[in-house]
Amino acid sequence: FRYTRNLVDNGNGKFNLMILCWGEGHGSSIHDHTDSHCFMKILQGNLKETLFEWPEKKGNGEMTKKSERVLRENQCAYINDSIGLHRVENISHTESAVSLHLYSPPFDSCNTFDQRTGHKHKVKMTFYSQFGERTVCVSRRYPPHL
Amino acid sequence: LPAGLSQWFPALEVLDVSGTGLAELGAELLALPRLHTLLAKNNRLGGPGSLPKGLGQAPVGRSLRVLNLSGNRFAEVPPALLGLRGLQSLSLGGNRLHGIPPEIQELRSLEFLYLGGNFITSIPPELANLPSLSYLVLCDNKIQSIPPQLAQLHSLRSLSLHNNLLTYLPREILNLVHLEELSLRGNPLVVRFVRDLTYNPPSLQELAGRTVKTRNVPYAPSDLPENLVRYLSLASNCPNPKCGGVYFDSCVRQIKFVDFCGKYRLPLMHYLCSPECSSPCSSASQSSTSQSESDSEDEASVAARRMQKVLLG
Repeated sequence: FRYTRNLVDNGNGKFNLMILCWGEGHGSSIHDHTDSHCFMKILQGNLKETLFEWPEKKGNGEMTKKSERVLRENQCAYINDSIGLHRVENISHTESAVSLHLYSPPFDSCNTFDQRTGHKHKVKMTFYSQFGERTVCVSRRYPPHL
Repeated sequence: LPAGLSQWFPALEVLDVSGTGLAELGAELLALPRLHTLLAKNNRLGGPGSLPKGLGQAPVGRSLRVLNLSGNRFAEVPPALLGLRGLQSLSLGGNRLHGIPPEIQELRSLEFLYLGGNFITSIPPELANLPSLSYLVLCDNKIQSIPPQLAQLHSLRSLSLHNNLLTYLPREILNLVHLEELSLRGNPLVVRFVRDLTYNPPSLQELAGRTVKTRNVPYAPSDLPENLVRYLSLASNCPNPKCGGVYFDSCVRQIKFVDFCGKYRLPLMHYLCSPECSSPCSSASQSSTSQSESDSEDEASVAARRMQKVLLG
């Protein structure tokens, strides 16, 4: 029902390598990368990446878009917290998309941001599967992605 | 499609003719009794006769479970597919739909409905009559409001509404307890109240009707003209649990911000019988976790007697 994160390799604790599968219309929230490097490569389909400025400390308004681009098959992208925040989405209504992600060092939580207000909220990141095996969720209830 | 299709491949279960430039799917399909999945994305379907007549009654109409017509040129949901009573998954994403026909409710087995990326402006309440609907995608359309009846979709687990023209949501959306995913970004959701004292006082008829109902004044259909009997039957109960009042036409539309899952504040609209009533949305989180959110100061200072005008568009 939403994009899935599938862990492929955890590099002896030095990195997380995972494959994300995006159905039609699936998108992520605006998020940061918890001080890690993040590499992304499109394996299938297209993904739109929208970059945002970090919200002001006392900020209470709409977040500022820096730029957006559509990444095509085999294209790569890189981001870290000093570059900014981003939202990644499959804007196609007819094709699914698949991307390969490398995070170093690995992290299992990050902040998601409400585009209208800039308020952040820490979330734990979960895997749909790990090394080919389905990961059963501990808790089914989590905040909706606005 | 080749004319001999059902003769050569009578056991066909999955047919994918996506991206082939087809402008119509003809009667060659009808006699495929094992076909459960038909994928015809990214073609030139959309004109009259894109789908064969009698689709619902034909053998293929009974077997079909998955139909993907995304990326075509449909300006309306093709009537021929409304007879597919066994259909579980339908995608019409990325077409040119301006609306959803109420007859959509005839797709009794539908679990997955993808209508993202069209020009849909409103949702018929009949959509709520699909008992098995679990996954509903309406993103990237021009939808201005959600009918409260959608809260009757008890099986709904995922609702995608991002990138539409919603300014508020109906209060009933809180009843979707099985909902696991809800996307609302890219809507001009109301963030602030507009403090406007507009309230049309109730008519004498309304005041009399309210008195009859709240005091249980007995009456029989023979006591009153038919139009008044009908009028009295339309009384709505004030949602304020502390108020036993009813209202007919004169009500106060109020927007109340409700914490959803304790984290997000959504503007929900509901009706109250009078300005003295207060909102029933007390089930939501009371604590204001985001102290810097300016709406909280609006909410705190709104007295029971103030009325808010719905901020539209």
